[in-house]
Amino acid sequence: MNPSPAIEVRDLSKRFGDVEAVRGVSFTVQEGEIFGFLGPNGAGKTTTIKMLCTLLAPTSGVLRLAGFDVTKSPDDVRRAIGVIFQDPSLDDRLTAEENLLLHAVVYGVPRAERRARLDEALAFVDLADRKKDLVRTFSGGMKRRLEIARGLVHRPRVLFLDEPTTGLDPQTRKATWEVLRGLRDRNGMTLFLTTHYMDEAEHCDRIAVIDHGRIVAEDSPEALKRAVGKDVVFVRTNEPAALCDVLAERYGLTPDRTEEGLCFRVEDGEAFVVRLVSEARVAVTGIAVRRPTLDDVFLALTGRQIRNGNGDAGRDRMRAMARRR
Amino acid sequence: MRAEVVYHLARRDVVKFLRDRQNLVATLVRPLLWILAVGFGLRRAFDPGATGVDFVSFLVPGVATMAVLFSSMFSAISIVWDREFGFLKELLVAPVPRATLVLAKMISASVTSLLEVSVVLLVAPLLGARIDPLGALFAIPVLVAFGMAVSALGITVASRMKTFEGFGGIVNFLIQPIFFFSGALYPLDGLPPALAVVVRLNPMSYAVDATRGLCVGVHHFPILLDAGVVLGTLALVGALAVRSFSRMQA
Ligand SMILES: Nc1ncnc2c1ncn2[C@@H]1O[C@H](COP(=O)(O)OP(=O)(O)OP(=O)(O)O)[C@@H](O)[C@H]1O
Ligand SMILES: [Mg+2]
Repeated sequence: MNPSPAIEVRDLSKRFGDVEAVRGVSFTVQEGEIFGFLGPNGAGKTTTIKMLCTLLAPTSGVLRLAGFDVTKSPDDVRRAIGVIFQDPSLDDRLTAEENLLLHAVVYGVPRAERRARLDEALAFVDLADRKKDLVRTFSGGMKRRLEIARGLVHRPRVLFLDEPTTGLDPQTRKATWEVLRGLRDRNGMTLFLTTHYMDEAEHCDRIAVIDHGRIVAEDSPEALKRAVGKDVVFVRTNEPAALCDVLAERYGLTPDRTEEGLCFRVEDGEAFVVRLVSEARVAVTGIAVRRPTLDDVFLALTGRQIRNGNGDAGRDRMRAMARRR
Repeated sequence: MRAEVVYHLARRDVVKFLRDRQNLVATLVRPLLWILAVGFGLRRAFDPGATGVDFVSFLVPGVATMAVLFSSMFSAISIVWDREFGFLKELLVAPVPRATLVLAKMISASVTSLLEVSVVLLVAPLLGARIDPLGALFAIPVLVAFGMAVSALGITVASRMKTFEGFGGIVNFLIQPIFFFSGALYPLDGLPPALAVVVRLNPMSYAVDATRGLCVGVHHFPILLDAGVVLGTLALVGALAVRSFSRMQA
């Protein structure tokens, strides 16, 4: 048996007037895979998801989901998928339970199973005790958790998650990932997600880095990191000038002076550090070796840092405001 | 099309309508103000000889139909609301035929407007209107069909509008002529020819005529013609609503 891939995208493009949001994207996601789209604001991640989940007609390209042509059989596709949108999508004048019940009915969850599914989903996101409350009384993170729970109620074959953990605290983020990985491992659910968070991208089996509507790299997190290569080494010393000279003369390195000490990139950082300590006659007070992160991958592939820090915080705050209405 | 899905989707709108107490009270009281102010205000200026009934009795069916017109039309604003607050995405990505979503909206609109009609028809006798209770019961299906047709028109507009302001503007522009050229406020006999033509082109005239005929025994067209026009309008505008709604992208 050779099942059709969960998602198959060929030369997908989307144009909004003058804006080319997606420009010829192709990729395939196998059943049971966790596939991540990693890219900065405006890269075209949400636009791609909207086209995959039948909400937006592509300008051109082929889209197949669970073997169905997305443009020709949207209802078959809709039955196979679940979507956790980037922007708010709850009815905040209904209670948590009412939101989930409507979802269960609409997706044809059998009546006998509904109660159990709802309770299970609410327990997953730790909202069981708030199920009778109107969603408008929830905090931003609680709303987000409820949206995640709702996406799981009908046990879709393919689940789309557009920046699923934005606005969640670190513990909740971790717990959410455990739930999601569990669903994949136990039920073989396929996950397609977008994120800006490096540590989340590492939960994926494969990652496509997308920028300006184009995929600039596609591989496993490990392979992507390997492609960028060298480890990053930080060395602290009381005599930075002397150590700089040693590094330059003996090893041909040009370290940067940073807050964490002298910083440089080498293959196999640990082995290098051992050699450095035994060979250099300069007292070293601290050492750190860091594997390249997806931040580094992104920098190497696109020449740009993924926008984080202030930009991201501002955006999260805007989203929080949008949620509060 | 699964009936249970329609029920739950329509129920959502009705539950929210009932939950919003201030709006509920205002909505139910508004038609009564019409009967009090216009009915009693113009009672003396009205010539009962022309129709055989007093003005308050004459007006009540018109106000009931008007209540259906206003509330069914504005109920479609929930689509604009859902788009604004994001819930529309959840509906549009659901494995439910677009016609089901539209039908559920039409049903919830007619249920909420029926609540208003019931209040009007129950309170009217207390204000001195002579309403035939059995006839009023038969008028309900006509008003349901009319409410669904109007809500379909609202859905058609809402599917094309991106903002509350846009929706409000278009709907007000539509609702005024539909109401004023309908005979809700005046008898259709002896109108100036131009006005008579406009009134005959307006489907609401037939809904008012049927309701008035059944409730107080005064009518201008045969009841079968009234019913036919209302149902025909419902089929036509219903199809238009499904088409507009299906073309909508999130
Ligand atoms: N409905 C629309 N009309 C016009 N332009 C749009 C529309 N939706 C998206 N765009 C444009 O398409 C581009 C890609 O947007 P998209 O939402 O897909 O980005 P994204 O990768 O999801 O970004 P973010 O990380 O900020 O969510 C942007 O330039 C955006 O302005
Ligand atoms: Mg996005």
